[in-house]
Amino acid sequence: MIEALGIPTLVIGTAYDIMSKVVPPRAAFVDHPVGRTFGPPHDRERNIAVLAKALTEVAQFTQPGMIRDLGCDWSSDGSRSWEQELRAEMLREH
Amino acid sequence: MAFEYLPIMAQNSAPKPPRVLVKPSKFAWCAVTKPLFQSRVALLTSAALRVESQPPFVPREDLSYRRVPSDPAIGPIVIDHHSGIGAVPKQDPEIVFPRTALASLLSRGLLGSLSPRHFSFMGGVRKTEQVEKELAPALAYELTQAKVDLALLVPY
Repeated sequence: MIEALGIPTLVIGTAYDIMSKVVPPRAAFVDHPVGRTFGPPHDRERNIAVLAKALTEVAQFTQPGMIRDLGCDWSSDGSRSWEQELRAEMLREH
Repeated sequence: MAFEYLPIMAQNSAPKPPRVLVKPSKFAWCAVTKPLFQSRVALLTSAALRVESQPPFVPREDLSYRRVPSDPAIGPIVIDHHSGIGAVPKQDPEIVFPRTALASLLSRGLLGSLSPRHFSFMGGVRKTEQVEKELAPALAYELTQAKVDLALLVPY
C-alpha cells in the first residue's frame, strides 16, 4: 500500500520466520529477542548502531521480497542462551 | 539458525488454531531512488505506543493510529500493546521505537531530514481486511503528506 504510493519501506524485525511468511517488500533481520529490536534498554549507542546498519542496508535490496541479515548478535560472545529465556518469557507471559 | 516464533505462537494459541499470517492482497515494490543523506525518513510501529498526552489505544482490535512527534524532547512514550513481551520495551520504548537514535543519525548527517511525525498503530489485530482497507491507506496518505522518502516499519 505504502510502496504503491511511491514510498519505499524497510521492515526491521527480529522474527525471521514470520517475515519469511509475510514477505514484506524489504526486510532487515536483527537477531535479537522480540521486543528488543534495537538492543537492551537504555543502550543508546547500540540503538544507533543497529539502526544505522539497517539504514545503510537499504541500497542493497535489489529485488522485492528480500530479507537481509544485518549480522547483529544479541550477546557479545555469540551465545544463544537468550533463546531459552525468551521462550520461557513468551510462554509465561501469555 | 534464527529463533522460531511461530511454534510458540501456535502453542500460546492452543486449543484455538494459530493466528493466520496475512499477506497484502496486492504486492507493491517501489525502488529507492534518493540517497539516504537526501531522504526524509519516518518510523512506523505496531507497538500501539503514543505520547502520554494522547488518548490510549484500546486492546485488542483498535484500528486507530497516533501521530507521534519525531522530536524526542516532546514527551515520554507509553506502550499500550497487550503483548506479553512488553515488560522490557515498556522500560525503554526506544528499543522498539528508536526515535532518539534516528534523531542522532540525522545530526550525524546520515539522513536528509525526519518526518515531523512518526506513526503508531496496534499490531496483531485480527480485522485484517479493515487494516488493509482503512488503516493502511490512512497511514500511506499521512506519509505522502509528510513528503516521506523512506518509511521504516518496526513490528512489535
